Amino acid sequence: MKIEKEPITGHYGKFEIEGISNRIYWEEAGEGIPLVCLHTAGSDGRQYRALLNDKKILKKYRVIVFDMPWHGKSSPPENSSIGNYKLSTDLYISQILSFIDGLELVKPVVMGCSIGGRIILHLAIHFPEKFRALIGLQSAGHLDPYYDINWLHRQDVHGGEVCGGIAYGLMAPTSPEKEKFETMWHYMQGGPGVFKGDLFFYKYDGNIGNEIKKIDNSKCPIYLLTGEYDYSATPEETKILADTIGIKMVKMKNVGHFPMSENPEEFLKYLYPVLDKIS
Amino acid sequence: MFMKLVEKDERRKSLSAMAGYLNTSFMISTIDTEYLVNIEKGMVTSVQEGPFIMPSYVFKLTASKDEWLKFLQPIPLPGSHDIIALLRRKVMQFDGDLHPLMSHLLYFKLLLASLRPTEVKSEN
Repeated sequence: MKIEKEPITGHYGKFEIEGISNRIYWEEAGEGIPLVCLHTAGSDGRQYRALLNDKKILKKYRVIVFDMPWHGKSSPPENSSIGNYKLSTDLYISQILSFIDGLELVKPVVMGCSIGGRIILHLAIHFPEKFRALIGLQSAGHLDPYYDINWLHRQDVHGGEVCGGIAYGLMAPTSPEKEKFETMWHYMQGGPGVFKGDLFFYKYDGNIGNEIKKIDNSKCPIYLLTGEYDYSATPEETKILADTIGIKMVKMKNVGHFPMSENPEEFLKYLYPVLDKIS
Repeated sequence: MFMKLVEKDERRKSLSAMAGYLNTSFMISTIDTEYLVNIEKGMVTSVQEGPFIMPSYVFKLTASKDEWLKFLQPIPLPGSHDIIALLRRKVMQFDGDLHPLMSHLLYFKLLLASLRPTEVKSEN
């Protein structure tokens, strides 16, 4: 039987993050400009499979996706215990910079979704010189809690069931069911308390107020794209962000909070022009 | 509006596999009208339309009739496509003991979505 082999290769490496050794898993494909992709809270790098398989993108870009510590095939840091995981802004930035330095990537493009779409704003504020461009998917400057995130980690509720249920609703009803199911499945496979721990960054520590005004688009170009069905980071909130920075945002039709995995075909129509511009 | 939940079509039968240990009663409120839904082993066994004198239920989902109608469209618009989206817009309220709801969140989302006319093909 002939199999359809994909161009993706997987790797493990030890990276020092805030003085602690972390065993990180990453996947990559393609050659050219490094494009580091950041997955959403409570999920992992599998969300970017479509990009890692897209021949057009792989001709110009080296697409690299790592699983954050605690996520996917990356291990929790040494001496971890269940229930104490909280992603802070500083820790998230350290993870990204350690990964980029470890792979000796020079001026990569970084694209992040959701929490990744938030952290690229922090990168733009503090380290614009390090990046060729930054792409925010589902970016918002802040998010006030609209449901009790304690439900995401309770011993009397199956974490996979509730995290999957939360993620499912964030997708567009028009996205293909098989892609929605797989996107939800990634959430169902997350470890206890990890999604909740990520949301500490998304809903509290990583909120940005007036600091957004410090972003200088001339130092590092920023692109913002948001799916219309996202009620977590809404297009309206991305527009406020874009207006403050002084750039245009793109509202993506027929997708929700996970454009790259819930409806890659639709998403790529919006991403190609951005990547063409950057290259 | 919600009486059809008791009809055992293929979608709802398949949903019961996600909630085999779920036995609960919950109220759906459109503010003007209330519907008391009883679930046994993941199957809706009865739906009663109010008014009620002393209804007994575990949790309640409340939104205006207009918001429920938007939610029940074949392809709902952004912000009306999910009960948490309604919560986010502050047009829905969850009350009571939410454990059955949150521990079977996807089940309840799909159960309610099964009332959408053309949702048949795109949902499980």
